[in-house]
Amino acid sequence: MALTERIQKNIDVGYWTGEIPLQYIYTYGRAGEKFFRSIKDKGVFIGARCDTCDITYVPPHIYCEQCFERLEDKYVEVSSAGEVYTYTFLLKNMDGSLKEKPAILAVINLEGTDGGVVHLLGECDPQDVFFGMNVEAVLKPQDQREGSINDILYFKPC
Amino acid sequence: MLDANAIEKTVTKVSFKDIEQRRVLSINYTPNLQYAWDNGLAIGRYLAELKRGRIIGKKCRSCKRVLVPPRLFCETCWRPTDEWAYVQDTGTILTYVVSHVNWDASRVKPNERYHTPAVIELDGTGKDQGILHLIDEIEPYDIKIGMRVQAVWRPLEERIGTITDIKYFKVIK
Repeated sequence: MALTERIQKNIDVGYWTGEIPLQYIYTYGRAGEKFFRSIKDKGVFIGARCDTCDITYVPPHIYCEQCFERLEDKYVEVSSAGEVYTYTFLLKNMDGSLKEKPAILAVINLEGTDGGVVHLLGECDPQDVFFGMNVEAVLKPQDQREGSINDILYFKPC
Repeated sequence: MLDANAIEKTVTKVSFKDIEQRRVLSINYTPNLQYAWDNGLAIGRYLAELKRGRIIGKKCRSCKRVLVPPRLFCETCWRPTDEWAYVQDTGTILTYVVSHVNWDASRVKPNERYHTPAVIELDGTGKDQGILHLIDEIEPYDIKIGMRVQAVWRPLEERIGTITDIKYFKVIK
């Protein structure tokens, strides 16, 4: 049962435009708050350590995923250096236009931990990136940090 | 069993002030949610005809109704609709409401008129279907179900092909 009419000329197609007003505030939660507060105030990364399972979570969790033990008193300082676990190149901006220079997005596994952060790589060219490359975090000057993931400017090879 | 005290201990109370004064860190974000909605064939013709000062519907030969706004498919007979048909800009109030509340949920001020949206059964469409529009030129609480109304159109040069090309419906004798 087909419809009996169709638009023959595309200039006949009308449309309505609009905008959906939406705004959100995301709080990081208890462990996330510790993580970002520590970067903001001290420039130090922290994780949560479960000794039973021998896992160090970065970013920290308040529970161990494996044994459900509470980890809120088990925060530990971790290194701000690690290695590239995986990476990709961003060629386009959010609006679809081409970037002047590709950005390198990577998952960085911090040294001695089982977790990682997703962030940009800087001070290196796309062709030089490889899995397992040693990198370290470059932070904003302390007075410019505001407690977000952007307090880390990027990770650079070391 | 859920223990209220145990749950209470795991809850972190955060007020909006805590977030504002950045005692609690957060990300504030406004996504850019623009959209373009395709009118399609039926609504496209409907809006184009409104710009010309006419109301058009689409007839279903099975249930004898003229669907306004027009649809290409009759939802009661489950079949494609048939020919286009103009309907009158006069009709009958099927139901209405007197709203003391504005679109943004604020109260209508004492010197302003209450909003009176109504479902209007247009002449020539068939029973028990109507379009939603505003009633005006009458005291809100004088409106009655069954009153006869007529569309008050914007001047031709102000019409842009929207349902608001009809300003409102006024009560006629």
